[in-house]
Amino acid sequence: MRVAPTVPVETAATVTLGLLVAILVLVPLAAVVFGAAREASAFSVRPLLTVLGSATIISNTLVVGVGATLLAVAAGAALALMLARIRTPGRTLLSRLVTLPLYITPLLTAIAWSWLGSPRGGLINLFARQTFGIDSLVNLHTPGGVIFVSALSYVPLPFLLIGAALRGMDPSLEESARVHGASTLVSLRLVTLPLVLPAILGSGLLVFVQAVGLFSVPAVLGMPSGFQVAGTEIYRLLNNYPPRVSQAAAWGLLLLVATAALVWLQARLLRRRSYVTVTGKAFRPRVLDIGPVRWLLAAIAWAYVCAAVVLPVGTLVWAALVQFITVDPNLMTFDLRHFRYVLFEYPKTYLALRNSVLLGALSAAGVCALGLAISWVIVRTRSWMRPWLDQLSMVPLAMPSMVLALGLLWAYVGLKALPIYGTIWILLIAYVTHYLPFGVRSGSAALRQLHAELEDAARMAGANWTRTMRWIVLPLTWPTLIATWTLLFILAMQEVSSSILLYTSRTTVLSVAVFDLWEAGNVNALAALSVTQLAITFVALAVLFRARDQAVPA
Amino acid sequence: MTDTFVAVEKLVVSYGPVVAVDGVEFRVDRGEQVTLLGPSGCGKTTTLRAIAGLETPIGGRIVIDGVSVADAAVHRHVPPERRGLSMVFQSYAIWPHMTVFDNVGFSFRVRGVRREAARAAVERALSLVDLTGFADRPATMLSGGQQQRVALARALACDAKVVLLDEPLSNLDAQLRIAMRDDLAELRRRLGFTAIYVTHDQEEAFALSDRIIVMRAGRIEQQGTPSEIHAAPRTRFVAGFLGMKNILAADIAAVATGQVEARLAPDILLRARDPWPNGMVPASAGIGFRPVDVEVAPDGDGVEGVITRALYLGDVTHYTIRSGPIEITAHAGPRAEFAEGGRVRWRVPPERCLLLRE
Repeated sequence: MRVAPTVPVETAATVTLGLLVAILVLVPLAAVVFGAAREASAFSVRPLLTVLGSATIISNTLVVGVGATLLAVAAGAALALMLARIRTPGRTLLSRLVTLPLYITPLLTAIAWSWLGSPRGGLINLFARQTFGIDSLVNLHTPGGVIFVSALSYVPLPFLLIGAALRGMDPSLEESARVHGASTLVSLRLVTLPLVLPAILGSGLLVFVQAVGLFSVPAVLGMPSGFQVAGTEIYRLLNNYPPRVSQAAAWGLLLLVATAALVWLQARLLRRRSYVTVTGKAFRPRVLDIGPVRWLLAAIAWAYVCAAVVLPVGTLVWAALVQFITVDPNLMTFDLRHFRYVLFEYPKTYLALRNSVLLGALSAAGVCALGLAISWVIVRTRSWMRPWLDQLSMVPLAMPSMVLALGLLWAYVGLKALPIYGTIWILLIAYVTHYLPFGVRSGSAALRQLHAELEDAARMAGANWTRTMRWIVLPLTWPTLIATWTLLFILAMQEVSSSILLYTSRTTVLSVAVFDLWEAGNVNALAALSVTQLAITFVALAVLFRARDQAVPA
Repeated sequence: MTDTFVAVEKLVVSYGPVVAVDGVEFRVDRGEQVTLLGPSGCGKTTTLRAIAGLETPIGGRIVIDGVSVADAAVHRHVPPERRGLSMVFQSYAIWPHMTVFDNVGFSFRVRGVRREAARAAVERALSLVDLTGFADRPATMLSGGQQQRVALARALACDAKVVLLDEPLSNLDAQLRIAMRDDLAELRRRLGFTAIYVTHDQEEAFALSDRIIVMRAGRIEQQGTPSEIHAAPRTRFVAGFLGMKNILAADIAAVATGQVEARLAPDILLRARDPWPNGMVPASAGIGFRPVDVEVAPDGDGVEGVITRALYLGDVTHYTIRSGPIEITAHAGPRAEFAEGGRVRWRVPPERCLLLRE
């Protein structure tokens, strides 16, 4: 009889995972803190003081962060209520359309809206002047414009999270409130709202973390009028000569402190709440009939879809096809010359496309694998590392991706032992770290649906751990993994905020190429490249939706 | 001379600070079926999972077929797949992405046996559970009862040293449960495999076991053959768990070896049997008797009482009888008819009235 190994595979795997996650998450975090406190290779508080002195940028960042968060959460919650709990006409289709902005990078939405709403050359203004003789009807090159467009992009997050909470709620909780004398509105306020509050606060936090570290929208809509936020300031500090890395890191630290404070606040607010009433069980939610007002609600939902999807995408497609931008119908001629240019002549396209697809595929695969492994340890084992792994793998949620990139930059730029700076690998690390929480969440969701006894049964039938993973766990979680992979591929293909800090001419990606064209003012080529990017996205999305629809009955 | 096949010695298993199994010790002979019986949370499933290797004990030793598979003292823990056991799970744990054949033949696949070589064994196992011809069916196209039988076939197919069964019938509906229980008893009589069975259902335990181990709060309360345990439960807990409805506190006085007098109230005295005489009779303990053993008569020399409730159930009538401060339950046949509020006399034959320790 062989003696059992003292260190089973599970333990070895757990420790390796722990180290890997710690390196992914803690290294950039430490690098930002370390970098912010240094100047000319010596300890200094100057970078931090300089940053704290920039009151305008700080207040601009807060205005955009808070404004976009409030607007997006309010709109997302309203849409979730309208489409999940009220008999709004066409709510099945609308529920799907409302999530589409998730798959369109804010950069493209911002560019399209800047063409539509810039004060003088904006299409809406040109049209208004020509038709009604009104000057400057709208101006999106304002703080309000930045908030509006960012919020448009972020609505799907609160919509999805709050919608899930509304659907996961036992309707009998509301029904009993009604039976005990509460009106619809009162039961909404006293029962429904408190129960979905965790989802509201949680999604608000997620949006705030992204909005406060946002680069693309303020870069497109704010910079022309001199409106700077932390994200654009970090970009400016690193791209001017000489690059002021310490000051950029100080900005990163400031953003981290802000998001960490909010995470703490959220945890405090939710401390006394138990979530048991909102289970993962699928209930048939009670759907309200509210008479003719429902048509108004449908119109509001469609207005959102138009503003966030139809108008921006339509504008981009139009600009990609029209010879030059004009509002005079007589001058508009359409052909494929811009596509011909970006696809066959523009030198960066091929490289950017290749890098984006490669990075998207690899990072999505890495996140899926890592996420499943981490969630297996969290869900299935009683290892002491469980809470640590769980917390650590969620940290990137509170890390604006620009701050993450900044940390990686600091950590790896001078590291001779691991010369990944300037290669595609540093981008891969950034993407994998940034999307890790998604992988862990979807992995645990898949594993929780899998009865642990299915794995025990394999062990009892003589399969070792590795085979149990390969023959039982992988095949059964495969549909979830495929869906997660596709979603992450789409998101990674469009990543802007960290790519813009980490790319080099050899490792440029699609979003960066789009941004380059925007800075160069090559409007039509930019539109054609964006449409190409969107086309890839929507093909992947169609695959994703199909996979999901097929996965439902199983 | 017994032929010990599985030995569990001073087993301790904990989940963090919670000690689920606390010093459990028992033996299983070759070919024997032993049942761990107890309410939920008593540690019976944890004990079984520790034998399987799915839990790592922090104390004690497990020896199977002369091989120490778990020994906390030397940090030995043979992983489940190398213990040569098989197991039927409460949830059946039928892999939904495989056919019935692949489920039953999994252990052959793991050992690298070719599909065709395994076919005979798989077919034989399926025929044992009356599922001949189901081999190519996807596992998801089975009813609950069929899934249960596939799980059983899977456990029997691989000629395991010991078959472990973790509440295998608890997810079936009542009728199917009884049918499966009888099938299982028949199957084991025919094949004679060694089995450890976990359940909270006393009837299942009686029907399927050579020996029953009653567990409570991580410890063993009593072990014995089904008839021993039924005839002579040692403690109030075991008696209560086995459905002895009348358990009453009493002052005890010894009369002779194995015989006691129990005073239930100042004027109620019953003669009872001490099934486990050890020279020490606790002055205050419980006595217990089954409702069917209570003889109720309109008059005579029994304890006087008033019928407070009569529940007519056809073949049997359930009476609640109050006598001073105590209340008992009696089951009487259809012929004895007493009305609610009526005065009766009741007695329990001394050999049917048991002294129960704490």
